[in-house]
Amino acid sequence: MICISCMFHKTSIYRQSPGSVLTTVLYQDMDWDQFDMNPKVIAAVKKANIKSIKEILNLSGADLQRLTKLSSMDVQCLLKTVSGTLRKSCMLTALQLYQDKDHCTSQHQKLSLGCSVLDSLLRGGIPVVGITELAGESSAGKTQISLQLCLSVQYPYEYGGLESGAVYICTEDVFPNKRLQQLIDQQRTFRADVPLDVIQRIKFGNSVFIEHAADLDTFYNCIAKRITLLLLRGVVRLVVIDSMAALFRCEFGAKDSVMKARYLQTFGAKLHSLSSRFRTPILCINQVTDTVDETDVAQSNFGLLDKKVSPALGLTWSNQLLMRLMASRITQSEQSPGGALQHTGSVLRTLSVVFAPHLPPSFCCYAVNLEGVKGVKVKTPL
Amino acid sequence: MQRDVGSFPLAPGLRAKLIGAGFQTAQELLEIGPCELSKEIGISKEEALETLQIVRRECHSNATKTADDPEAVGKCTALELLAQEQAQGFIITFCSALDDILGGGVQLTKITEICGAPGVGKTQLCMQLAVDVQIPECFGGLAGEAVFIDTEGSFMVDRVVDIATACVQHCQLIAETHQEEDFQKSLETFSLESILSHIYYFRCHDYTELLAQVYLLPDFLSEHSKVRLVIVDGIAFPFRHDFEDLSLRTRLLNGLAQQLISIANAHKLAVVLTNQMTTRIGQSQSMLVPALGESWGHAATIRLIFHWDNKQRLATLYKSPSQKESTIPFHITPHGFRDVHPPPPSQTPAEVEINPRKRPRIEGDKQ
Repeated sequence: MICISCMFHKTSIYRQSPGSVLTTVLYQDMDWDQFDMNPKVIAAVKKANIKSIKEILNLSGADLQRLTKLSSMDVQCLLKTVSGTLRKSCMLTALQLYQDKDHCTSQHQKLSLGCSVLDSLLRGGIPVVGITELAGESSAGKTQISLQLCLSVQYPYEYGGLESGAVYICTEDVFPNKRLQQLIDQQRTFRADVPLDVIQRIKFGNSVFIEHAADLDTFYNCIAKRITLLLLRGVVRLVVIDSMAALFRCEFGAKDSVMKARYLQTFGAKLHSLSSRFRTPILCINQVTDTVDETDVAQSNFGLLDKKVSPALGLTWSNQLLMRLMASRITQSEQSPGGALQHTGSVLRTLSVVFAPHLPPSFCCYAVNLEGVKGVKVKTPL
Repeated sequence: MQRDVGSFPLAPGLRAKLIGAGFQTAQELLEIGPCELSKEIGISKEEALETLQIVRRECHSNATKTADDPEAVGKCTALELLAQEQAQGFIITFCSALDDILGGGVQLTKITEICGAPGVGKTQLCMQLAVDVQIPECFGGLAGEAVFIDTEGSFMVDRVVDIATACVQHCQLIAETHQEEDFQKSLETFSLESILSHIYYFRCHDYTELLAQVYLLPDFLSEHSKVRLVIVDGIAFPFRHDFEDLSLRTRLLNGLAQQLISIANAHKLAVVLTNQMTTRIGQSQSMLVPALGESWGHAATIRLIFHWDNKQRLATLYKSPSQKESTIPFHITPHGFRDVHPPPPSQTPAEVEINPRKRPRIEGDKQ
C-alpha cells in the first residue's frame, strides 16, 4: 500500500473531492522507490530521468522500452502499477450513485433557485458539478435569476442551499448592488418555506464576493488564482460569470476563430476542473446573437423552438456545457387576449431547458417581482 | 515442466550453482520465490529474479508449442469468422430504425463512435445501451454488464433510473403476453437495483486519468467477465485543450484506439465512444465535422452522426464495413431512446401548456 500523502508536498485538501487530490500527484516529481515494483524497473525509470506519472503515461509502450531498456513485460507492469496508483478505488456502481444521499458526494444534491415551480422544471435545481449556461436577450431576467442564486446558495442543505457564499464575476456592467440589497431585505417574504430564525442567522451581504475582469488575461487569472483561493477556503460554493460573451466581443474578429476557440476551451476546462474539484456549480450568463443563416439554425440551435436568436460563442463553448437554459420575454403576439398570461403588472417570461442530460426540453413561465424571480404555473383554456 | 535445469539458456556459472544446490527440474525452480533462491545458491536478488523469469518464459512457450491448437497461433478461416460473427449478439437500442441500419444493433468486438452537437442525444443513447446490454437472453438481450467511463460529468443517475424502469416495464409486458416460465424467472433478477449495480462508473478528469483507466481496464474486465459494453463519454473533451503539441495528441489517441480495439476483441465486448463536433471552415461555407481530426476518423469501425433537421433528431450511419449509409429519425422520450411514431402535434409555448412528460407510444405497447 502506498501512502499518497508522503509522495508529494502538502496540498490543502479542505473541502476538495477525493479524486482531485490525486490530480496533483500527476505533475509532481515522484519518489519512485515508494512504488511496489521490481527494483530493476525503479532503477531504470530513475536512470531514464523520468520524473512524473504524467510523463510515463504520455509515452507509448515502445518509447518506454527504448528509454528504460526494459522488456515489454516490465514496461506493461510499470504502466499498470503507475495507473493503479492514480486510479485506486475509483470505481462506483450506478446503484451506489443512486443510493448516495450524503450531501457531500451525492448527485441528488442540487442548488435550488428558491422557487418550487422553477425547481421542479429543473428537477431540483442547478446540478452541483458542471457548467450551467443561462442565455437570453437583454432584460430577459438573467441577472435577476443569478442574483437569486447568490442568495439561495447560502441557505442550509435542507432548504436547497449549499451553506456557503457566491462569487460574482462581472465582465462588463457594474454589479447591481442595490438590487441585491432589495432581494436580501425581501428574503423573509420570498422564502416563506424557511423558518424566520434560520433566515435571520444568515448574513447574506457578507457572502457575496464580487470580482471584475474586463479582458481575457484578467479573467483567466481571476478564475485560476482568486476564485481557487476562495473555493479552497470554503467560503463560496457558487461561481457566477456575467457574461462570457462580453470578454470575446471586442478582441476577436472573424479571422481569429482558432484563437478564440482555444481560449474558450482553456476557460471551459479550467471551470470544469474547479467545478468537479470543489463540487461547485458554475453559472455562465450568455448573450444571444441573431441567427443569420437558415443552416446555422439547424446546426447550432439544437432544436430550439422557433428561435430567431441563438446563444453567443458558438459550438466550441456549447461543447463545454452540462446544461443550457434560455430565458426570454414572451412577445405581445404570443400572449392570449383572454388574460390568462397577464400577471399583475409584470411582464411574463419563459425559462426553457434547451439541453440537459437529465431533463427533457421543457419550459415554464416566471415573473420578476420585488422579492425575486418566481415561477408561474400557467393555466390555459383547453 | 520436467525439463532439466541444465537445458535452460542461463550463464554456465549460474547453472553450476543451481545443480550444486540440488535443483534438477524446472518444476522445482518454479515453486520458489526470488528471495529464497538468492539465499539458497548465493546470488543477488536481481539475478535470482531474472533466472526465474527466463525459466518461466521458456516453460510457457514450450507449453504453447506442444498444444496442437491452431487458435493458440491465431489462425482461423473466414468461414469460421463468419459463423462467429453471426452467432454473436447485438446490443439493441430500443429504436428499431436505428437497430435496422446498424444491422441488428451495436456490434460486439467493434468500436462504434457517436458524434453530434451538444444536446442531440449522444449521452442518452449511451445510457440506454448501458441498460439494454443487461436485458436477459430470453428477451433478446445479452445479459451482460456495462462499464461507463465519464469524462464530462454528464452521467446523471436519475435519468438512468428512468430509462431502466421503462426497460423493466417493457420486459414485464412481454413476459405477460408470453407466460413462459423462463421469462418469469429472468424477470426476478432483472430489476432496477440489479441494473444499476451492474453499471460500473469511472470518472476521469483529464486525459492522463483516462489513459491510466484504459491501462487498468483489461485487469478489471478479467475480474468482471460479464461486461459486454464499455462506454467512453466523451472521448473528445479531455483531448481538446491543454495540447500544444498536436502530434502527441495524435499519438496518444492512436494508442488509445489500439488498446480499445484489442480489449474489444479479447473480451468480446462492444466499445462505444462519443465525440464532439467542430466547425471546419471551407471555401465558401462552414460545415460540422467530428472533432479530433482526420486520423481519429480511422479509429472507429462504425460511425454514427446525430444531427438536427428543424426539430427532428436524425441519426446517420456514416461509416460501416457492412451496412449502407442511411439516415433515420429518432426521439428521446422520458423512457429513453425510441423510434419516431405518429409525430405529436406541433406546439409552441404560448399556445398550449406542454406536458413534457407526454410520451409517444412505444413499440412494445402495441403487442
